[in-house]
Amino acid sequence: MIPTDAAAHDKSRELLRVEELTKRYGPETAVAHVSFSVAAGEILGIVGPNGAGKTTLLEALVGLIAAEQGAAFWCGEELPPPRRKEALFYLPDGIWPYQDRFAIDVMTFFARVYKRTDAQTAATINAVGLTPVLGKRVHSLSKGYNRRLLLGLGLLTPHDVLVMDEPFDGFDIRQTRAIIDVIRREAARGRTFILAIHQLADAERACDRFLLLAGGKVRGIGTLGELRAKTALASGSLEEIFLALT
Amino acid sequence: MRSPEPYRAREAPLAPLLAKELAEIVCGRALWTMLLLVCPLIGYSFVQAVSLYGEASASAQQSPVLAASLSPLDGVLVPTFGAFYVAVTLLFPFVAIRVLGQEKESGALRLLVQLPHRSSTLILAKLAAVLAAWILVSIPAVSALAIWVMMGGHLAASETVNLLFGHLLYGLLVGAIALFAATIADSSATAAIVALAVTIGSWVLDFTLAGHSGLAAVVAQLSLTQALRPFEQGLLSAGLVLGVTSTIAGLSALASVWLPPGVPTQIKCTRSVPCALAILLALCLPTQIRQSVDVTEDRRNSFPAADQRLLATLRLPLIIKVNLVPEDPRYADLQRNVLAKLDRAMPNVSIVVVGSHRDAASQAVNDAYGEIEYSYGARSDINRSTSPREVLPLLYGLAGVQPPPPAPGDEYLGYPLVATADATLFWFVGGLPLLIAGAWWWSRRPPAKSLLTYRGAQS
Repeated sequence: MIPTDAAAHDKSRELLRVEELTKRYGPETAVAHVSFSVAAGEILGIVGPNGAGKTTLLEALVGLIAAEQGAAFWCGEELPPPRRKEALFYLPDGIWPYQDRFAIDVMTFFARVYKRTDAQTAATINAVGLTPVLGKRVHSLSKGYNRRLLLGLGLLTPHDVLVMDEPFDGFDIRQTRAIIDVIRREAARGRTFILAIHQLADAERACDRFLLLAGGKVRGIGTLGELRAKTALASGSLEEIFLALT
Repeated sequence: MRSPEPYRAREAPLAPLLAKELAEIVCGRALWTMLLLVCPLIGYSFVQAVSLYGEASASAQQSPVLAASLSPLDGVLVPTFGAFYVAVTLLFPFVAIRVLGQEKESGALRLLVQLPHRSSTLILAKLAAVLAAWILVSIPAVSALAIWVMMGGHLAASETVNLLFGHLLYGLLVGAIALFAATIADSSATAAIVALAVTIGSWVLDFTLAGHSGLAAVVAQLSLTQALRPFEQGLLSAGLVLGVTSTIAGLSALASVWLPPGVPTQIKCTRSVPCALAILLALCLPTQIRQSVDVTEDRRNSFPAADQRLLATLRLPLIIKVNLVPEDPRYADLQRNVLAKLDRAMPNVSIVVVGSHRDAASQAVNDAYGEIEYSYGARSDINRSTSPREVLPLLYGLAGVQPPPPAPGDEYLGYPLVATADATLFWFVGGLPLLIAGAWWWSRRPPAKSLLTYRGAQS
């Protein structure tokens, strides 16, 4: 795995703060006044059903779609949309990057752009379990291996915050656990993850904190313990908490 | 406070991006399909051109005058590259659109725009890929030139390079249009419709409005095809080169503006205005910058050298009133033989077309129709000739200078070649396509070195 500047990361310190993010499509509000923050090395799960506004929120956050309102702050300093790609790297859902190229070519391209050594690239490939399909073209990869490829690309970037849309979609339970381990190891090195997840069980396993989103609005935010306290469900699962709050 | 700038644009290496763009275009079927289609198209044109040139050369063996009219530029190069022009107009947009369309459709564009490169850098890398694609698809046409030389044919370096340069500019212009279309369109299919609407539309514009006067003539000048004409005539025009390169730059700038997905449309429109104005300005450049070089071996765009030198010394304004309509064949003769050459040779020439269609219709009773009035300084004269042999002495008379003595050895003798290129069809429909298919297969192999590198590093 690629070592990041672990010394600079401090879990207790707020790394990124989002305020009042709002995105409308005509008369319909897809994301309404969403505010949250993440600390260094934290894994924040944006949890909600399909159509809750998770993808819109992530894409507005990273500046891939224009938001009507809202701001993002990096270590307290405003980060305008054109500069967000300097701090955040987003891995969208449902993309098959460079379908006609071999998986190894796509990994090598990112490694060369971010000046990674062969050893660092090989470690990333090994960590995400991409070795068996390096010689395959991207269009012939299974959904799970395509996910691994995307995760590998994300891990090759030097960004402090990785934003991932449905990172466990296409994995079985064992693969999901393996990928969660990869993400946890990377978070332990100080990298922050914002994950949009619709499978509540996966989210509960993977994330430190949760932002519950439904109908484009924040229904709850906090650790599992905080959410349990808020809903008075002392041993409630994330699913039960979500149902209680929405 | 920690900087959120791990990789600024200036630190981002360009080489991987360029390598990726080149590999992307080579991976696509569009390039190879176009190459395979271009082979027989150019081969057939080349064989036909050589055959006609050979027949004309056979007739010219007994006639030096006929031989002097045989130039490989007109006889072989322009027809052969004419087929290439058709292929570039109709097929090259599909190749150029792929450099962006594929990334848009697969979603990879959303990764690409997050890389530490500026939008303009991304577009320039894609334009470089378009240039590389043009070089590859020009291989059949260039191979035709090589065959022509091997057959004993003559190639004048300056006019050949000039023609190739003209086609390169035309190819890049089509590529830039296609790239911009791919940037604004949601899908490759829509981009293809937009790009072909421009290229084929301008083609139609060219032949429907050709020979018309007034606004129709101005509109016809905007046709993309017009960009190639001076190069085919052996002229290297500074205004045209600057106009086309500025248009390519303007379209690339527009593509850079429209590439980032997170910018509101209103802002993109505002940022597009300067680019659009620059393109409009570029379209006007060819008419404003008149400097051009006649690169032909037979100096067809110039008077004899002695006349050129003398005409360049005539500094007073020369006003030419032409009482002909532009559609009149005599006007075309006059334009080609006299007006265009005078415009290049003299520093201050104004041409006024005063002929009307009513005059042309009643020329039997209107004696003035067909007259050409030359005014130089305070003196003027009228004649009806479209030949420089009569016009130049008239001009020298008006300027009060002695005509220069004819320089011996100035004549172009022509390059007749009695030959047939039928056998070369085997190259264009057999050998070259096989080589292309082989190169296609080779380009699709997995990168063995990289696989070994990473598998080795893990073990």
